[in-house]
Amino acid sequence: MDASTLQTFTSPVVLFFVLGLLAAFARSDLAIPEALAKGMSLYLMAAIGLKGGVAVSKSGIDGTVLAALGAGIVASFLMPFIAYAALKGFAKLDRLNAGAVAAHYGSVSVVTFVTAVEILEFQSKPPGGYMVAVMAAMETPAILTGLLLARGMGSKNGQSTGAMLHEVFFNASVVLLLGAFVIGMIGGEDGFSEVSSFFEAGFKGVLCLFLLDMGLIAARRLMDNRSITWRLAVLAIALPLLNGALGTALGAAIGLDVGSSAALGVLCASASYIAVPAAMRLALPEADPGIYLTMSLSITFPFNILINIGLLSTLASALVGAGGTAS
Amino acid sequence: MIETVIRKRIEILTDAALVSKVTDAIDRADITGWTVTPVKSGKGREGAWREERVTGTNKVFVLTVASQEKASALAEELAPILTSHSLLLTMWDVEVIRGELF
Repeated sequence: MDASTLQTFTSPVVLFFVLGLLAAFARSDLAIPEALAKGMSLYLMAAIGLKGGVAVSKSGIDGTVLAALGAGIVASFLMPFIAYAALKGFAKLDRLNAGAVAAHYGSVSVVTFVTAVEILEFQSKPPGGYMVAVMAAMETPAILTGLLLARGMGSKNGQSTGAMLHEVFFNASVVLLLGAFVIGMIGGEDGFSEVSSFFEAGFKGVLCLFLLDMGLIAARRLMDNRSITWRLAVLAIALPLLNGALGTALGAAIGLDVGSSAALGVLCASASYIAVPAAMRLALPEADPGIYLTMSLSITFPFNILINIGLLSTLASALVGAGGTAS
Repeated sequence: MIETVIRKRIEILTDAALVSKVTDAIDRADITGWTVTPVKSGKGREGAWREERVTGTNKVFVLTVASQEKASALAEELAPILTSHSLLLTMWDVEVIRGELF
């Protein structure tokens, strides 16, 4: 474990997350009001979308951007197969639940990504702005693979699939993230400077409070949990390790810089707990949310925030080589 | 003394994500109106749950008032998915003033 792995623990963003975990475990009544939590998540999505769009308006769309997009989409389609095999073989989940959980592990967590960007910038390895678009592109393919695995080819439930696809493509986070990304691309740096005092100055502070809330939610869910076996808990840590390493290696292989390779690794390692659960409740209502949400939100998410982002950052530095070592 | 008639009040606890499924069923049963109200936390067969804000697993109550036949039609429509979709459906008699509306 080198310095950059340990550095994670001095980031206020991560420390606020730890505070949330500890407060919930101590059964504190600390809570973020609902409207504020929703407002913060909208603010974060808009800010990160804008920043990504502005970065792409500067750098332009080149081969690297397209390669990263392609790699992300392919990874999101394929990762659920690994998860599904492990969930059925090792954790003995039935087909339905294994498919539902697999969809979560192929898809991505926006908050994990944002936290990773903060940590990577803190370590002087900023990922490319286009990684925001890669993240948005990786949200959906895994859901389709997960459904295919859970239901098998052919079998259908037309109405709920239609509603589910609508949810997948038009859910609040996708619309706001991509919308803000496009606004950032159109406005460019000049346009952004008009609103940057709002979206930049408050960003880290809001992220701290948001992660405090996520810590509370993750720990409270874990304490209420009744569905997680030790085998599922092992997979909730093994899958992000494996997927993250594969993603980082993929990023290095297609020629991304250190920060972007690490970010692709983090995207592959992260498991959705916002968009996919909502889609699964619609499309596979029989699958147990106690399994997929507790795994992704209460085990994988904290593991990624606290440990895996640091590991993947170190791995990316080793694979991509010289540039951007922690200072 | 104002005159009242007996109608059924139906209360369905459901995941917020599944609300449209429930309200579609209400519409199909030809019931005119419904109301959705938020709930905070609770505990059931599948363990405790709480309003988590970000995860989309929040639950809500869907409330509606209907005549006996329409209420039965709705119950029949929802009965097959009560277990698979973790719904809780209860109904009871209430007095309403403008009976012709329900």
